[in-house]
Amino acid sequence: MDLDQTVDSGKLALIPAIEVQGLRKVYQDVIAVDNISFVTYRGEAFGFLGPNGAGKSTVVKILTGLVKPTQGTVEVLGYPVNHMEPRRNLGYLPELPVFHRWLTAKEFLEFHGRLYGIRGSMLQKQIKEALALVGLSGRERQKLSTFSKGMLQRIGLAQALLSVPELVILDELVSGLDPVGQRDMRELLLDLKERGTSIFLNSHQLADVEAVCDRVAIINQGRILKVGAPSELFDKKTKLEVRVDAVNDELLHSLHKIALHVQQDEQDPGRLLVEVQQDEQAADIAYLVHSCGSRLYYLAPQQHSLEQLFFDTIDALRVDK
Amino acid sequence: MGMLLITRFTIEEAFHRWLLFAMLALNVLFLAVYALMLNSAYASVTRHTAQFANPQLALLRFDVSISILTVWVAYLMSGALAIILTIGAISGEVEAGTFSIIVSKPLHRFEIVFGKWLGYALILCTYTAMLLFTFLGLIYWRTGYWPDNVLSVLGMLELSTLVLLALATLGSTCVPTLVNGAIAMMLFIGAPLASFVELITPDPGETTKNIATTINLIMPTDALWHGASFYLLPSFLISVIGQSGLQSFNSPFTSIEPIAPGLLLWAIGYCIVLPVIGALRFQRRDL
Repeated sequence: MDLDQTVDSGKLALIPAIEVQGLRKVYQDVIAVDNISFVTYRGEAFGFLGPNGAGKSTVVKILTGLVKPTQGTVEVLGYPVNHMEPRRNLGYLPELPVFHRWLTAKEFLEFHGRLYGIRGSMLQKQIKEALALVGLSGRERQKLSTFSKGMLQRIGLAQALLSVPELVILDELVSGLDPVGQRDMRELLLDLKERGTSIFLNSHQLADVEAVCDRVAIINQGRILKVGAPSELFDKKTKLEVRVDAVNDELLHSLHKIALHVQQDEQDPGRLLVEVQQDEQAADIAYLVHSCGSRLYYLAPQQHSLEQLFFDTIDALRVDK
Repeated sequence: MGMLLITRFTIEEAFHRWLLFAMLALNVLFLAVYALMLNSAYASVTRHTAQFANPQLALLRFDVSISILTVWVAYLMSGALAIILTIGAISGEVEAGTFSIIVSKPLHRFEIVFGKWLGYALILCTYTAMLLFTFLGLIYWRTGYWPDNVLSVLGMLELSTLVLLALATLGSTCVPTLVNGAIAMMLFIGAPLASFVELITPDPGETTKNIATTINLIMPTDALWHGASFYLLPSFLISVIGQSGLQSFNSPFTSIEPIAPGLLLWAIGYCIVLPVIGALRFQRRDL
């Protein structure tokens, strides 16, 4: 498998941000991660997708030094993962983070800023900026114990961005956020990406991964199944629902010529499901209906959930293997 | 630098916990009640000692006895606080999940262990010293008795607290909080067993002595307490120890001889080695 297949070398500098080779993690008898290799590049947003128990969180914990690998090498920002140097330029937000809730937002960020080695006026400036970035300006004196789940997620992200890191590792960033919060986070990630920050996004929210990530790795049962651009990874054929006054043989014959698959509803003969390669073919179908003498009542794409596409992909890869 | 940040954070956190405030409030209440009791008891003793041939010696006996028993309570209180406050030093944070964003920062894991150890050591040593001097101050205010070797007493009590902190720190890096608490509490409470058996045995054999030594090596707090109780005796009494009548100061809770130098060194080493082993263990632990 060519792990670098979709990196646009014109856009991204091909300097690795994360380099993982032959990574294996075994907990007693359980193989959590089995011989994983991948590279992410500086300035790239890399998504890590997989169902629960796939090994995603174990990889994230290894990348952040929380868990030691059983085997394999891991380099972050050019250094072995256990070195202090990459940690100065690494922001990390775990899934469902737990904080010392007796602190105020400012005290919390001051403590974490000092852990990064930031002091004095620089620290105050960066706290202000980080709070503004995550939409928590004016909450400096509020105790974390009074924060909502979404606000805690935001303050967690603020601590991850406090050192203006070169690389941010985010584990299920939008969990606990309402739709507005999810949209804000997505915009924030795009903003970070625009600034050249490397992003490693561990998520099951395919919409975020698709919107933000340049490349995605699909992981299942401790192994990487596929790496590539989101648009390439998922088999997203469009299924169009067509309603006409009457279906004649000429229409069916014409549709079969341009469509991948045509299915007529047995209960409702005027209803057709037409699978096409591209959305734009809807116009061709409308033209065909008209030219075959039928009247078009309804033409719309059937929405597939991204989750379904994701699991279809996993299933397809399982069958291939 | 990271270590000192963790130390400062640990101290701040301890003061934000209700536990420490609850303990301090109870201590104030306890000390107030103790002062009243001491006042009343001393007045009663003064009346009764008038009947003795040597009233001054009888009063001294009361002064020394009340000092030993009171400082023994201080030893128990500081020991209990050491266990309650520190059993979750590392494991509590791991279990809560608060370490994820700290351990991934640019600081070594040993800095976290030693930073926490130092923070708790400062809190506990300050608490122990305050408690000891407040108790002895009350006794001095009412009886006029002040032990000659008070700094040695303080040293023994502080060392005893640090021994418990060392044990809790090591346990906190290896086992869950509840298990750690149970181990520390059982060892602390069980340690005086050796003294009890030795004292009630007229001629303790080699086996009894060896078991007592082993218990003291596993948990030196009781040996340190006995060392402290020895230094609570007045100097002139120490110099004539062994003469008739003075053996009565020997009890399961007290000693008429200082702690063995070897055991003292062992206790000091215990305070250093256990947190180091804990730090090494934590360095390799998956979180």
